[in-house]
Amino acid sequence: MTEPEQRPYTIEESRIVRERQAARSKVMAVILVGLCILFFTITLVKIGLM
Amino acid sequence: MGRSPQTGGPKTIMTTTTTNLILPAEWRDFWALTKPRVMSLVVFTALCGLLAAPGHIHPVIGFTAILCIALGAGASGALNQYYESDIDAKMVRTAKRPLPDGRMERISALQFGLGLAAFSVGIMGVAVNWLSAGILAFSIFFYAVVYTIWLKRNTPQNIVIGGAAGAFPPVIGWAAVTGDVTLIPVLLFTIIFLWTPPHFWALALFMKTDYAAAGVPMLPVVSGQKTTRNQILLYSFPMAAAAIAPFALGQTSWLYGATAIALNAIFLSLAFAVWRNTAERAEDMKPEKRLFAYSILYLFLLFAMFAFDRMLMP
Repeated sequence: MTEPEQRPYTIEESRIVRERQAARSKVMAVILVGLCILFFTITLVKIGLM
Repeated sequence: MGRSPQTGGPKTIMTTTTTNLILPAEWRDFWALTKPRVMSLVVFTALCGLLAAPGHIHPVIGFTAILCIALGAGASGALNQYYESDIDAKMVRTAKRPLPDGRMERISALQFGLGLAAFSVGIMGVAVNWLSAGILAFSIFFYAVVYTIWLKRNTPQNIVIGGAAGAFPPVIGWAAVTGDVTLIPVLLFTIIFLWTPPHFWALALFMKTDYAAAGVPMLPVVSGQKTTRNQILLYSFPMAAAAIAPFALGQTSWLYGATAIALNAIFLSLAFAVWRNTAERAEDMKPEKRLFAYSILYLFLLFAMFAFDRMLMP
């Protein structure tokens, strides 16, 4: 199976890539913060503090 | 929410451009992989199973259980789309999904699905209990492997047996609270299991050409419309019996009993209208479209009333 050809991004494509990466990073940050809060709360429940 | 992943938008650039240049997928495409609309029904039935179960569960643990079930359903959807991208590309209804539309690499969908599955099962086991985690793992396996890989392309009974995958959520919700599985969650499982064939075959009747084009052996494609309409009506009777059974067995009050009888009377009358219909073109299949739309409302109302009734019981 041949690998897809990889040429340098054009200016427009680079802008789109950065936009997508930024959006994904923001979503990931929100998810991670949410999971931190959830795991912390679960821990409190499990040890009987809630 | 910006553009819809199903419709695309003015700024959309395909993940694979004309020169095969790979661009990273958007987060919305990962979201679309989880089949959010299917997930909503899964979450709802799981929540009803959880609320109907006897005993107490801490709200945080209950929330975690529902979250894990939602993530598990999302994992199933992603793995299904990973394997079925060739079929999806041939069907109008699914051609705009991220993989057939070229907005995402297949390997990304596989990694996303497997990661989500492992994460949901692991958290369910650690935070809730391992019985519910085990059933969740089995339901993901059942949908992704038994239904998607083994059944869907090989037998017109695909959605009959595969329907079991969608019937597990209320059982998982119940097991999250009680740590066991008794008669009532088995009844809830049976209701969804028997509801799935009439629901999907009604859809398959007016989407027959789509399934035929994709080579999926759905019942209307393999056995014809008459047989499918007969089967829809035949499955509706045991489904109605299963739906009324919790009341008949004294597990709910008359509130659920009366609702179940009314909802099933409507379902049977619509199934009867489908049985009587002889139309062959999708445009003339109003009874089928009506039954398909009602079947979704039916399941929501039936399970909502079941949970409500059980919560009112002393």
